[in-house]
Order: sequence, then C-alpha cells, then structure tokens
Amino acid sequence: MARIVVDPVTRIEGHLRIEAQVDGGVITDAWSSGTMFRGIELILRGRDPREAWIWAQRICGVCTMVHALASVNAVEAALDIEVPDNARLIRNIIAATQTIQDHVVHFYHLHALDWVDVVSALKADPAKTSQLAQSISDWPTSSTKYFKGVQDRVSALVANRQLSLFGSGYWGHPGYRLPPEANLMAVAHYLEALVFQKEFIRIHAVLGGKNPHLQTFLVGGMATSLDPDEPGATVNLERIDFLLQVARTAAGFVSQVYIPDVLAVAGFYRDWFERGEGLGNFMSYGAYPQGSIKSPANFFLPQGIILNRDLSKVYPVDPENVAEYIAHSWYAYSSGDQMARHPYEGETKPNYTGPKPPYEFLNVEQKYSWLKAPRYQDKSMEVGPLARLLVAYASGHTEVKKLVDSTLQSLKAPPTALFSTLGRIAARALETQLLANHLVEWIEQLANNMAKGNLLNHNGQKWDPSSWPDSARGFGFFEAPRGSLGHWVEIENQAIKNYQAVVPSTWNAGPRDAHGQRGAYEAALLKTPVADPDRPLEILRTIHSFDPCLACAVHVLDARGQIRAKASA
Amino acid sequence: MTGFVASDTVVIGVGNTLLSDDGVGVHAARRLQTDPRLPAGVTILDGGTLGLELIPYASDASRLLFLDAVNAAVSPGTLTRMTGSELLGCSGGWNVHQLGVADLIAALALVSAEPQEIVVLGLQPGYTDWGTSLSPEIESALPALVDAALSELGRWAQLGDARSGSQPLVHSEASSNDRRRGLDPDGGC
Repeated sequence: MARIVVDPVTRIEGHLRIEAQVDGGVITDAWSSGTMFRGIELILRGRDPREAWIWAQRICGVCTMVHALASVNAVEAALDIEVPDNARLIRNIIAATQTIQDHVVHFYHLHALDWVDVVSALKADPAKTSQLAQSISDWPTSSTKYFKGVQDRVSALVANRQLSLFGSGYWGHPGYRLPPEANLMAVAHYLEALVFQKEFIRIHAVLGGKNPHLQTFLVGGMATSLDPDEPGATVNLERIDFLLQVARTAAGFVSQVYIPDVLAVAGFYRDWFERGEGLGNFMSYGAYPQGSIKSPANFFLPQGIILNRDLSKVYPVDPENVAEYIAHSWYAYSSGDQMARHPYEGETKPNYTGPKPPYEFLNVEQKYSWLKAPRYQDKSMEVGPLARLLVAYASGHTEVKKLVDSTLQSLKAPPTALFSTLGRIAARALETQLLANHLVEWIEQLANNMAKGNLLNHNGQKWDPSSWPDSARGFGFFEAPRGSLGHWVEIENQAIKNYQAVVPSTWNAGPRDAHGQRGAYEAALLKTPVADPDRPLEILRTIHSFDPCLACAVHVLDARGQIRAKASA
Repeated sequence: MTGFVASDTVVIGVGNTLLSDDGVGVHAARRLQTDPRLPAGVTILDGGTLGLELIPYASDASRLLFLDAVNAAVSPGTLTRMTGSELLGCSGGWNVHQLGVADLIAALALVSAEPQEIVVLGLQPGYTDWGTSLSPEIESALPALVDAALSELGRWAQLGDARSGSQPLVHSEASSNDRRRGLDPDGGC
C-alpha cells in the first residue's frame, strides 16, 4: 500500500496537491487540496458596485474576463438592468473568444504532454509524419520539410536544456503509446498553437482595448464605441471585417488541427474512455444569451443538471440551492463547521489546522484544503465543458447532438464513453468547434444591427446610484472555460455589503463535505491504475482533463517547482 | 491594423494587485508610466497574473523588462535582477506567480522571430495576503525598483536599436543564481 503525493499538479499554473492511496496498483482513494484562500469580499466590501468588475477580474490569472462578466451580471441582476442587444453580442463574442483560446491552450500547452512524448518525437521519420498528417487533415503545414524543421528546432532546444515548457514530462513512461510520428505531429501543433493564440486573441484587443485586461465592461452594457463609418470607433466596418477574418481562421484551425489531433490521440488511448468517470453529476448554469439573460431557456448553451449519468432527464438549476461546506476546509463558520452556508450568507474566516510545512501528508480525516466544498442540493457536481455538452445533449440541442453523435460514431464509442477522462478532452474540443462557428454568427449579427442603425450599447437608466433601492442582491453567472462561475453581490446604501464568488475549480477541486462526499477530482481518480508510483502519469491525465485552474487559487511562495511524486509504505 | 505593441522595448509589470505585495510589479509599472525620466518609445503594460496570454504583447519586442515580485528567500524589499537566459532552463515554481514568467519566456523563445533580450527585476515580497496596498517595507523599496528599471531602460536606450545588428547581451549574476539555488530544496531549477 502506498500513498502518492503530487504537488503541484498543474504544468504551468497553479498550486494543487493530490494525495492518492494506491493498493495493488490501483487508486483506492484520493484527496484534493488547493491553496486558494478566497478573500475577494474583503477587497470589495464598501466599494461602488459599478466598479466591482475591475477588482473581480484580478481574481484569476488566466481568465480575467470571466470574472468581469460574472460581476457585471451580478450587479445588473441586483439592480434589474437589461443590457442592449449589441452589448449582449459583444459579451458573447468576448466570452466565446476567451473560451476558445483557453481550450486550445489547455489541450496543447497544459495537457497534450500527458499523452505526447516529446523525446519520442525526436526519433520520428519526418516523411512518415507528413503522410500521417495529410491522412487526417487538409491543414496546409504538413510537408516532410516542415516536420524535419520542427524536429531540428526541438532537438536543439532539448540539447541546450532550454525547453522548460517540455521539461516536466515523464518521458519514456510506459503509459505513452503514440508512435514517434504522431508525437512529432503533436509537437509541431503545440508550436503552431502558440502562434494561433497570439493571433486569435486580437479579437479581445479590438473589443476590449489594447491592454491585457479588458477595459470595456460597464454595468448596463459595454463601453465599446460602435459606428460603421467612423474610423475612430472601436467597432466600424473595417474592424468587423477583421474580426470575421480572425474568427474564420480560428474555426479553420479548430476543425483542421485541434479536432483531428484529439481524435488521433484518442485512438491510441481508448482505455481512457473507461477511466476517470467521476461523480456522474453534472451542472451547467448555461451561457451565451440569445435574448434576455433572464431567459436561460434561450441560451445557446442550456442550463441544467444531470444526475447519476442519466441522460434521459435534465433538472432545472436554482441558484438558491447552492451552498458551501467547510467541514474539511480551513475555515470556521459562526454557525458551526458541519452546516453548509449559501453564498449570500457566506463567511470567510480562515482557520488553518493543517500540519506545519514541510510535511509529508495532510491529515485528511480533518480539514485539508483551502477550497470550500460547494454542493447543489447537497450533491457534488462536476462542472466544465463535459457538463455543458452533456446538459445540451440531454436537452436535445440539435447541433450538439449531431456533433457528439458523429464524433462517437467515428471513434466507434458508445455515449457512456463520454463519462471519462477522454470524454472531458473530447467535449472540450467539440465545444471549441461549436463556439468557433457561432463566433462568426455573433459578429455578423452585430454587423447587421449596426447596418440597421442600431448603435446602442449601454443602458444608462440606472447608472445613477440615487435610482437604486436601499438594498438589493443579485446572482451573476457565466459558464467560464472551466465551468460554472457564480458571483453573489449584496448592495446596501449604494455600496457593496457582501460579495462571494464560487468558481469552477472549487466545484471540481474541492474537498469532501460534512457527509464525506468526495469532490469531482477525488471521485474521478478512483479505480485508476497507476503503473509506476514514482511517476504517476495516470493521475495527471485525469486531473488535467478537468483543466485545473488554481491560478484562481494560488499565490503561494513556493520554490519546489516540478511535479513531485512520493511513494511511502 | 490592430498590431499589439509597436515599441522595440516593452516593460511588463506582473503580479496580483489583490494580494498586497504580490502586485509590486504592477505598482512599479504604473509609477514608471508617469515618471518624467522614462525614455521615449517604451511601452509599459500591466500584465496582471496573465501568463502565455502575454505572448502577443511581448513577442514583437526585442527588449523586454519584467517587473515582478521575486521570492529569493531574502529580506522583504530586496532587489533581485535576472536575465531571460538564466530563466530559460527553469520552469515555473520559484517565481511568486504561478503563471511562471519563466514559462512565458520559454514560450517567447519558441515564437519570436529573433532572440530577445530579457531582464527581470523584482522585489522580495513581505506580505501576500488579500489586500490592495503594499506593505510599508515594499512601499519604501518601490522607488529603488523604479530606479533600477529606469537604469535598465537607460542602458538600452544608449545601446540604440537592438534590431540594428548588435549582439544580444547575456548577463549573469552569480549572486542571483546562488539565491535561486538556495530557494530550491529539491535541487531542480
């Protein structure tokens, strides 16, 4: 019997610690511990709710805009403000861009190297790699010369020990199964994806200002200026053409590179369609309004809950049913640590009772994480692209159903294969394709509105605080790339009285609750075989399939660096 | 149209301004922006806690200066200077930000057409819990960080356009290397 510790788990981001119990080569139990101390309300209390988004977008390191969006949504919900159609479209465009960008970066730069052996790529035959690439896609960069060039470049970097991004893999682990040519193709696309994201994110630069943090959100709409004929306007006809061109290029990359790569990799790892299945409960708040945000029934990605892997039923979501436990989290509640609290009644009083670092293991019988344990009607939920896709699929979303069914058919896999590590990866890729296609549509709708003379982008009726009620509360939500994001704001006397955020990684990476129910990561690791406890590649594959973002989480002074595994008797 | 940054020299302040001293790089960048001694033609950006997302803003510059909080296990407010080449071999980890400026630098080496000269200047943080202001030690060390940034930028300005054929400079500072090794109990980079 051995206890494996992986700390930290993320390749580029974060600080997440997984402890897994391995018996007879199989994981029998697992604990997920994050170092996120959530103190956003300490920052926001007393501030003007109209500026909350500026602060909130600093919560997270990689998806700043999703917090800005959830924040303006929350304040608009509290003050009963409807945003104009153009603002809705621009928000959809900005949010879809973020999600597409994030998914591509996740697959290639944070996850692919769990499946792709960079060192093996150096042994590939470039001519055979070219044949392979051309057999699965029409993507133009696929010549022998191109792959030879990539191979030479990576060889040089590895020889100079200058490739830190590639430095943390368990190269040569028996779990790597791709032939050298597939590895080389994937490494080439890893590099192409770096360039892809550099070009694609220009959509944000146009709509959000030339600053890494978007500047154009506004309670009541967007601050983006619209005028088809005005050269100085943020969005004019020339910019629309540019946005369309970038969006179409992105859709091409996704359909010709990302999707074929995911299918190719999946073909070599089919056993991972049966591993990492996890909770079986899935939740989506819904995203991308096609009309009023008050009508989730009309969202492009629907709202709903699936329980016990039963795709024949979709339950409604009521944010009143969300509550957070701290029985295994380093906090104290004034009402006692066994009770859950709704975010409106949320408390953040730290109470660290864990071992003094450096330590070998956490005391998992007691409190062991800085993450709270959010539950919906007392149930653990998985959130993220797989949850969104399953809710859409089970809701009868025509486009999603078609895409999922055809993908399953080409993989010769049943729908139950989706409840797995590879299912998460496939769902993320398919969602990227869906959003890339709709991005073009939303830009065209914005152009149509502008052509008809509709340039309204902000509803200022309730901008003046004197028009607000004495007290109000609102729930703002969005499906961030990693899953359901909720912001709860309470406003009193024109200032923020309380503010709580429950972020996707808390749903997925959170610890057990007062009833001992596991969080999504903890459940997904059960029954996973581990070939070599010193190099627990299998744990990384499943945890990374969730796209862990403890950038939201972690800002700890820690110098330990690389993935560390430790086995003990 | 919509080129990101036209300047040859780009300064990026990184850090989380909600976590007190963690945001020192961003605070320094803001100060630098309004400093009359700032050489012409330098672009200053607030990079927050972004990582690879900063590539578009950084990849076209030939000289990059990062301002950051750096954990060198020294007393709060101590200034550390490192070069990109020193950071290329190490992935994430030792930096205060999980984003890994080191990872960003590695990615830049892959996507940039030409080698870039990269310098990281940072202060040892004191307090990194939730809060929007700097601790007194860091607040009083901030001018030294701004001065160090200005002297780096002044040196670059004197050298002229890096794109006109001058050799990329490689600096090494034994002391910062030593500190970094001292930081890492596992012996990796």
